[in-house]
Amino acid sequence: MNYTTQLAVLLLLALPMPAGAQDATPPAPRREFRSSLSVIEDATIYSNLRVPVPSAFNQLLVEPSVGLRYRHRLTLSTSLAGIVGTHSETHVQGRVKEAYAGLSAGDFDFTLGRRMVRWGVGYAFTAAGVLDPPRVPTNPTDRLNLNQGRDMIKGDYVRGPHALSLAWSSAVLAPARSPLRDTTAFRYNFLVRGFDTSLIAGDDRGGDAFGALTFTRVLGQSWEIHGEAAWREQGALLAGAKCTTRSGVTFIAEFYTPPNTPYFRDSAALPIAGRQRFFFFDVGKNRLRELPGWKEWDVSGYLVANLNDLSYTAILDTNRRFGNRFSAYLHLEIPRGGRTSGYGAAPYSTATSAGIRFQL
Amino acid sequence: MFRINCILRALLLVLLIGFLFTCIAFGHAAPPPTPDADSLLKRSDSYRNGWPSYVLRVKITNYESDKPDEERLYDVSQKGVEKTYVEFMSPRDKGRHMLMLGDDMWIYLPDTSRPVRITPLERLSGDASSGDVARTNYAADYAPVYLRTEKAGQEECYVLELTAKRKGSTYQRVLYWLRAADARPVRAEFYLTSGKHIKSATFDEYAAVNGKSQLRRMTLYDEIRHNSHSVLEYSNIAPRELPDKLFYQGRTERF
Repeated sequence: MNYTTQLAVLLLLALPMPAGAQDATPPAPRREFRSSLSVIEDATIYSNLRVPVPSAFNQLLVEPSVGLRYRHRLTLSTSLAGIVGTHSETHVQGRVKEAYAGLSAGDFDFTLGRRMVRWGVGYAFTAAGVLDPPRVPTNPTDRLNLNQGRDMIKGDYVRGPHALSLAWSSAVLAPARSPLRDTTAFRYNFLVRGFDTSLIAGDDRGGDAFGALTFTRVLGQSWEIHGEAAWREQGALLAGAKCTTRSGVTFIAEFYTPPNTPYFRDSAALPIAGRQRFFFFDVGKNRLRELPGWKEWDVSGYLVANLNDLSYTAILDTNRRFGNRFSAYLHLEIPRGGRTSGYGAAPYSTATSAGIRFQL
Repeated sequence: MFRINCILRALLLVLLIGFLFTCIAFGHAAPPPTPDADSLLKRSDSYRNGWPSYVLRVKITNYESDKPDEERLYDVSQKGVEKTYVEFMSPRDKGRHMLMLGDDMWIYLPDTSRPVRITPLERLSGDASSGDVARTNYAADYAPVYLRTEKAGQEECYVLELTAKRKGSTYQRVLYWLRAADARPVRAEFYLTSGKHIKSATFDEYAAVNGKSQLRRMTLYDEIRHNSHSVLEYSNIAPRELPDKLFYQGRTERF
């Protein structure tokens, strides 16, 4: 707070207050602190397993997050996950999802550390998210919050609706056998006439150079459209739309066609399969307020399909809130298709997850 | 002489009758001055937007059948009429934030780790919608027309009809009761494009902040589910210098 503001606040405090309700102006805080804790107990049961493993899997996840900001200049933030998993045996795992320091100086922001960055604009797929955690179309919202950021140095210049970002991400701390490489990437993000547009370019050390364009736009009262076009050895394309009805039901559809190159190839796809085509369709509604007693319920159902081999996974998600801190959910996955197909290769006929979430 | 007197008397009578008619006619026809709807609306906005740049905290308590069933906290930063940044502070929503830039709106969800564009219709969801929290500059969003003057409770009020003049307006039409003495909002009715009366509001409590009267509490009544209402309580209202960076659409920081 500068001297003039301090003086103004002191003068105002010294003024006689009229009787009745009168708020004193709180000063701008020098230090701000944010923390959250999420505890999830998740149990998954697989039916008709085609591999000799136990059909039940239990996980307890403890996910604390802490953020500290000093004088709007310095930021320290970390987000961790501890997982106790019980399958055939119990294992404990710790993950650093994010841990970074940020420095803000005028129009510039600098970040050092592990940071979650998402430059892609797709819900289920991305062609342009070169620093993003991997998108899993059957779990587009990362429902257990297990995604990890990339280790990076990033500089951002933000002026109005324009932002230039330059990032260098190291793969030194990436897990063994991870396909990640050191990546240098640049993004120019701007908002013009309602189009939130990004131009992305960069290079993977020892790999390919790449370029991409992304956009989102709202049309009228109920439509949002988004798209990505990327070039990395070959072209990849994503086109999507979201529509909200007056009753609050939201539909999301996406079409994605990546080339069958090592960078874009799905783990289940064969190298000879050629260019892939995927489709995603989601219909959901948060807060079923119109039904008496269902206000605390969220429901969504979605389908991810590989249009090449006509395999698909249908998913149903329900969530029910209890008070301000507890919620329970049910997640049902039904993969279908040939044994060698993209989604039919899943070694079970259904996977049902149920869990309880506590948030502090 | 007699004739002159008669003429003068007749003339006097005509003048007198004419004067009386004029008084009656003008006395009845002269309408009270019509209030300027635009300046009334701008003045009413100052009860919720006291400074060009400010912060406040909003606590929303949802009631079902008069029992509190849900509570949410938001920290709101407002700069001008076009820029609003809302940080969600409730345990369930921690990490979420919402940005409004003119007609465009984004919500950042921690589970997707990116800002998601939201459509005007998505802003309407919930008992107290995101639009109710983030869009409080009615003069920027609506074109006002003065309808009438009437009593709302004990208060003599001007009634304005507001019609959405931009895509980003939360509602298509608003009927707005402003206290005649000082243009302070008293109550409102909110309508959708279909004409459906979706919500009503009462502006319940004001308090002086830095010498300005500011809204402290309002109640939103759900006109579709009549047993449901939300109370919005405003606190920590303070003028504050806010950097433009706070309102960048690609923002993903926890702060």
